[in-house]
Order: sequence, then C-alpha cells, then structure tokens
Amino acid sequence: MKSVIEHTLDIITRTRGEVLGHKEPTGETLFMVWGYPTAFFLLLEFAALMLLHQNWCTWIWLGIPLVGAPLMIYYLRKDDDHTHCRTIEANVILQMWMFLGFISCLGGFLMGCADVFEICYCTFQGLLVSMGCFVTGVILRFRPKTLCGFIGAILSFAALFFQGEHWPWQLFVAAVVAIITLIIPGHLFRRYVRITFRKNS
Amino acid sequence: MSNFKFPPINSLLHSELRLKIVVALDSLQSADFMYLCQITDSTRGNLSTQITTLMDAGYIDVTKSGLGRFSRTTCSITSKGREALRNYEDGLRKIFSQEVPAQEEQKMINP
Repeated sequence: MKSVIEHTLDIITRTRGEVLGHKEPTGETLFMVWGYPTAFFLLLEFAALMLLHQNWCTWIWLGIPLVGAPLMIYYLRKDDDHTHCRTIEANVILQMWMFLGFISCLGGFLMGCADVFEICYCTFQGLLVSMGCFVTGVILRFRPKTLCGFIGAILSFAALFFQGEHWPWQLFVAAVVAIITLIIPGHLFRRYVRITFRKNS
Repeated sequence: MSNFKFPPINSLLHSELRLKIVVALDSLQSADFMYLCQITDSTRGNLSTQITTLMDAGYIDVTKSGLGRFSRTTCSITSKGREALRNYEDGLRKIFSQEVPAQEEQKMINP
C-alpha cells in the first residue's frame, strides 16, 4: 500500500518538476511592442511642439496606445501559440503592465483635458514605467531588467528640471526613459530567452 | 482494535492521468490541450475524456477559442480543484507517515 502512495506522490512531484522545469519566460517582445511606439511618439510630440508650437501636438502621444494595444494582443496570441501555456508569473506581469499602462494613459488624458502641462507628469509616468520594469526583473530573476528599471527611475527625475516654457523637454526625457526601461531590457531579455531556452529547438 | 483512521481519498484524483492534469494546471495560469497532451504523455481521446470529467466536477475551467481547424482549448484550474488537490496530497502524506496496521492495509487494498 505504501508503495502505491509513494508512487502517487512521486507522480505529483515529477509532474510539478516537469512543468516548472520547462517553463519558458514569455512576453519578451511585449517590452519592445510598447517601447518603440512610446519612444517614437514621444519624440514626435517633442519635435512637433518644438517646431510648430501648436496645442494639438500635445495629443500625439495617443498614438502609443493606438499602436501598442493591437500589437500587444497580436504578440500575446503568438506567444501563447508558441508556448501553449501561460505561467502564473507571466500573468502577474501582464496584469501589472496593463494596470500601469491604463493609469499612465488615463493620467495623460486628464492632463491633456485640464491643459496643465506645467505639472511634471513625465516624471510620474517615467517612475511608473521604471517601477514596472524593476518589478518584472525581480519576478523573472533577470538582473539587467532590474538595473534598467532602477536607472530609469533615477533618470525620470531629470524631467523635473524642465519647467515653464521648456516643458516639452520632459517628453524627450520620457522617451529616453522608455528606451532604457523598455527597448534595451526587451532586447536583452529576448537574447537571454533565445540563448537559454531555444538553443536546442 | 486499532486507532488507525484512514483519511478520505478523492477517487476522482486517484487516477494517474487526471492527477497529472490537475497538478500541471496547479503550477500554471492556463495551458492548452497540446501542452497537456505533451506533459501527460497521453492520447488525445483519453485526455479529452478526463478533461470533461474534471470539468464536470468543477475542478477545471475549459475555454474554447477560434474556429474549425484553428480552434484552441485552454484549461485552467479552479479554486475547488486547487483545494481538492491540496486535500488529496495532504491525505496521502498523512497515510504515508502513519503506521498502517496490516489488517487495515488489507482492507484498503481489498475493501
């Protein structure tokens, strides 16, 4: 009887080990999917404001969710097709980024409606993104991501130095933060996943 | 008369394939049919039957997406299923750690 129980407990341990051992981190493309549109549209908004000085230019950032969201849905489906499963960590990270993205967009929208660009919103936004990058790095145990999040958070405070009529430079700082916290760790993580998990496939 | 008490064992989970499905889903947020097929090393027909049994018991949730050839079946464990697995595992460990009298052991094997 004990050998039957031992066998059953062994099945549980073995299956658990097999599942946990073959877990490939997903969502490495999501960082770039959001990173490139963020950097592009923020730099475009910065350039437009510097050259045209028109109020409508402050809405160019809306291109970020308009381009990022459909791309994210597409790549999430692609990731699921590739791995055939979603880990608990991946789900936590996804939900955290959805929350941060929503808060970030809502804040930007309200700022635009209230026409209060003197407030250092880019610092706040940069801190949100950096925090997301830092926490993602901690969850995935990927140190470069944690480090990029830390650097991004410190750099976000640089936006505080651009007040009054120089406020468009905050957008430039936010674009640099996006490159550091989204694009660079995205590429590093993709390389890490390819080398570690897909070298034999 | 011995004081040995045999903890109730969930008969639904006391099948190798069903147990593997529930354990795999317990470690993941969700998994599709292909993944479960691979991890349990079972045939599609058998896996499908066991998934239906577990779904009817309320241990797992099954979502179907897509159409025709490209349809995809995604499974995830429910809180009821998670609790059942904990109880099952605890029960087995209890029995394993206890000294089972020969008479009771015989009863368990041939009830």
